[in-house]
This record gives sequence, C-alpha cells and structure tokens, in this order.
Amino acid sequence: MAEGGDVDWELCKENIQPLRRGRAISALHQALSQQQDGPSSAVNQQRQAFESELRMYEGEDPLDVWDRYIKWTEQTFPQGGKESNLATLLERAVTKFTEEEKYHNDPRYVDLWIKFAENCSEPLDIYRYMQAQGIGVTQASLYIAWSEEYENQGNSRKADLVFQEGFKKSAEPHEKLMQFHKALQARVSRQVLMNVEDDSDDEPKQPERVSLADLKHRGKKKAIAPVNRTGSAVRSVSRGLQSLGAPILGNASNSQLVIFDENKTSSAGPSEPKLESWVAPPTAAAKENEQRPERWCDVKMPQKSKFGRTVMAPPPPKPTFQPFVEESDQPPTMTPCKINPAVNTVLSSRKPCREETPLKRLQEHHQHQKEAESGKLQEQSMYCKELLLSGATEFCFEELRAERYFKKTHQDSQKEVKSEQDQACASESSVC
Amino acid sequence: MTSTLKGITLKGSAELVAEFFSFGINSILYQRGIYPPETFTRVTHYDMSLQLTTDPKLKNYLTNVVSQLKEWLFECTVQKLVLVITCLETNEVLERWQFDIECDKSAKESSAPREKSIKTIQEEIRSVIRQITATVTFLPLLETPCAFDLLVYTDKDLEVPEKWEESGPQIIDQSEEVRLRSFTTSIHKVNSMVAYKRTDSV
Repeated sequence: MAEGGDVDWELCKENIQPLRRGRAISALHQALSQQQDGPSSAVNQQRQAFESELRMYEGEDPLDVWDRYIKWTEQTFPQGGKESNLATLLERAVTKFTEEEKYHNDPRYVDLWIKFAENCSEPLDIYRYMQAQGIGVTQASLYIAWSEEYENQGNSRKADLVFQEGFKKSAEPHEKLMQFHKALQARVSRQVLMNVEDDSDDEPKQPERVSLADLKHRGKKKAIAPVNRTGSAVRSVSRGLQSLGAPILGNASNSQLVIFDENKTSSAGPSEPKLESWVAPPTAAAKENEQRPERWCDVKMPQKSKFGRTVMAPPPPKPTFQPFVEESDQPPTMTPCKINPAVNTVLSSRKPCREETPLKRLQEHHQHQKEAESGKLQEQSMYCKELLLSGATEFCFEELRAERYFKKTHQDSQKEVKSEQDQACASESSVC
Repeated sequence: MTSTLKGITLKGSAELVAEFFSFGINSILYQRGIYPPETFTRVTHYDMSLQLTTDPKLKNYLTNVVSQLKEWLFECTVQKLVLVITCLETNEVLERWQFDIECDKSAKESSAPREKSIKTIQEEIRSVIRQITATVTFLPLLETPCAFDLLVYTDKDLEVPEKWEESGPQIIDQSEEVRLRSFTTSIHKVNSMVAYKRTDSV
C-alpha cells in the first residue's frame, strides 16, 4: 500500500471523536502513532508545561492559557476519555472564571461553557444556569447551542423560543444567529411537511403492534410469560405509542382528541425561558430506578419455573441462512490500537462522588465563594491551596518551588547576559 | 459474461470510473450534508449500501456531468475532477475534494483487454468510498448552508462543450490536505485527496 502510515486514521476512526472545528491531520497522525507505542514523554512534558503555565501565568489574560490547553488536549487525545482529562479540565476552567465579569461574554469563555455543557448529562440545565449567571447572554453561540439541544430532544418549539430570546438580547454576531434560526425553521417546516405526507399514507393502516414491546410466544414452544392481555394492557400499549408522537386513529379508548390551540399556549407561555434566579440545585426526585429502603431478610426470590429450578434458556437455533462472507476476506493483520494505561500520575485525582453532577459541584463552588466573601467561612488554608489545585492535576510544593526556581535562574541568566552586554558596550564606548 | 470478468477494455474502464464518480459524488454530498438527508435513498452497490440522491434537479445535473465525463474518460482527455464545497453566503471555499485521473493513452491504440478482474477493481473502489465516509472523523463541521460545484480539468486543446464554462481552480488558502486511497482499472488510475480549511485559521 502506497499510503502506508496514512491509513492509521481510518483504522481507528471509531476511536476519534469528531470536533466541530475539525482536526489537524498532522496532530492526528502523531496522536495515533503514539497510541500504539504508549504516551510519549513529549505529551507528558507538554502537559506539564501547560500545567505550570496555568500556575505561573501573570499576564492580563489567564483564560488564554486555559483555552490553548484545552484545544491542545482535544487535538492530542482524539479518543477523549479519562486519559485526556478533558472533562475535569473544562470544569475547572469554567468554574475558575465565573466571577470574572470581563470574561462573561468572551467568545472563548462561552465556547468553553458550551463544550462543558455538551460533556454533561443535562446540557439544558447548564444553559439555564449560564443565562441566570449572565454568561454568554450576548453571544449568539450560546443560543445556537441551546436551541440545538432542544431540537435534539425533539422540542422544536422551545428551540425557536431560545432564538427569540437571543434576538431580544441582541446577541452577536447577529447574522450568525439569523442564519441558524432560518436553518432551524427550514428543518422544522420540512419535517412538518414530511409528517403530513406520512400521515396521509398511514391513515388507512390499522394500529400495529410494536416490535419488542410485549412478549409473545412463537412456534411450538410453550410460552413462559403470560400472553393473555386484558383490555387495560392493550390500552396501555397504545398509550405508550401515542406518547411517541404519532396519534393512532380508530382506537376506541382515546376518541377524545385534544386539539392544539396555538394562540392559547402562546398567551399562557409557561414554558417560555424566563430569567429566573437560580435558587437551588435540581432535586434528586427525578431519579429513576431507585429502590425504597425496606427489609431484605425473609424475602424470597420469585421462582421462575414450576419445578423449582431455574430454567436454562434453550440454545439459540442455528440460523437457516448462510451468513455472507466475502471471498477475499482475510483476518485483520493487526489490531489497530490498544488503549494504554493512563498517564502515571503519582498524585491521583480524587474521584468525584457518583451522586454529584458537574452542575451541582459548580453551584457548590459558587455558594462557597459567596460565603467566603461574606466572611462566614471558618476554614482558611494557610498554604497556597489555590495554586496547588488550580490545574487539572495536582501539583506538589516542590514542583511549584522548582518552577519558581527555574524562572528565577532564567531571569538571572538573562540579566547577566544583558549586563555583560551593557558592560561590553560601556567599555567599548570608553575605548572610543 | 465470462470475458468481462477476466479483462477490461477502455470502454469498460471509462464506464467503471464514471460510475465510481457518480457514487462518490453522491456519497460526499450526503456525508457532508450539502443536501438534506431525506432526499437520499439507500441502494446497494459494490456490496455496500450507498446513498443516492432523489432530488430530480441534482440527479439530472449529475447524470449530465457523468455522461460527459464518460466521454472524456473514453478519449483519455480528462486529468482531474474536483468537487468544491463553498459557503453559500460568502462564497468562500471550505472543502475541496480532488480526484486526479491518470489515463494510460496506449489503451486507445490497442483494443486488447487488460488483465484485471472487475472484482479487484470494485474492491479498490469500495475502499476509496469507505475512506470518504470515514473522513468525518477529522473534517470540520460545515455550519453554514453550502453549495457545491464540480470542476473538470481536461487537456488544453479540448473544446468547452455547451453547458460547461471555464473556471478558476478554487484553491483554499491555508488548507490541510489529506491523501486518500487510490484505485486503478489498469487503464485509468484515480488518486483521491481532500483539502479543508485549517483548524487554527477558523
């Protein structure tokens, strides 16, 4: 093969997360080749350099370091994941500047927030939080990302409302917002059109059973699960379908059709995104699959078979068809990549509690700061805790000291060189 | 049927390559979202499922281009086919898919079929199309509505047919280039490449 190493990316394509801005192919090649022979010291060194830059930076624009660090991480760890530390990094970056008013509408900062939100399980909460805190409220990108999230969840009406909010706040750049809004409208209208066409096709059809919805016995085997469905069970199935969006016509149980009134809802407008202060973190009430505490002793497992033994599932019958195998199919000659153990850090980062969501942590951090301001906080660390913990990984005192030492020696040596030059100049001038 | 399986003639090669372009262009248009995905239908070809457009205008345009291309391939006068993706509003070139075509002009004189089975050729074509699909892993997202354009580079002395016009090369400045796989029918060799705007210049 003439392309040789160039096909690396194709073999690992499943392990490369697509980026909005695309990837530099050289960085990708490098990252993939490193993946095969372990994370090189170059990557570790570069990360360390970023980490120390985060701590030692003294300029006007600390966000810049974070921004570069995160972009570098994205490019260097195409597969994302724990090794890249991207989630922690984003969270730290985002929390660090919540108090800095000057960054609130900085496009870079808003971008970081959006990336952070996309990494979370509940991006909508994050966007609402951003709005409440006034972060990115004049940036078109916030409204675009927010609306995309609503659209992905199938709520195109709210997606549209988000855009209206953006227009109200006259978010910049205005053209971009307009353009995305138009694209959304086009998509929605196309969808509506398609649905209308579909409906006209579907109308004569009888309500069908959904596959995988209920157990059904097949063939000569005796059914294990009860298959006689009562009226209510049948109805519940159709309800389940209905909630998916397609109303089923001709079902006696739901002959009452609710007709959507556009004017009515828009006047009521309870779902309009309002600027509400963020009072408390979302309660844990929404959790699923939680079991109430109860006595566990004397509880018997329900027996599945009538003989008191668990029934082994019969072996799957052999397929009656011949699976297609390409004639020239050869076993792959190499396994494209293996995942390497994470970078060996002596100080391991503390694992966050399962219960915590990033947003919750964020709010706690926020509250902490407020308390600290009002002087309520009792604790006071007598060491530079901020500096040690400010990056994505933890530093130890010695590292900080070494960093300062190197900086100082560097400065000193520069000074010496300069003074020597000055002296040389001076001596020259005296000669003249 | 047995003769077509063993060797390949110039005419057959031109047809195969033209067919590749038809499928290749369709899958780029689908993958990059130039046309809405609902306007495509799935077909099975080269033992893989591919997306073909159902938009009548686009279909018409593509058949025109491909049939013209087939002629040029048969005459061995075509050098390159380029698919340019531009931003609809600013007309900025965002992506450029280039297919260099090397013709073996000696095939025009001798009509004897070459030794290469259609199966191996299709295999090679398949891997090119697979790679086109895989490029989404590194290409930037096209956030704006985009248009596309097809450019064909031919030998200089060729007359410009009706419905075609001369154009510039539409090069992207500061681009990242990635070579893709190539395939050959032993008469026509096609090298593929994609260029896109570099990350840090966005």
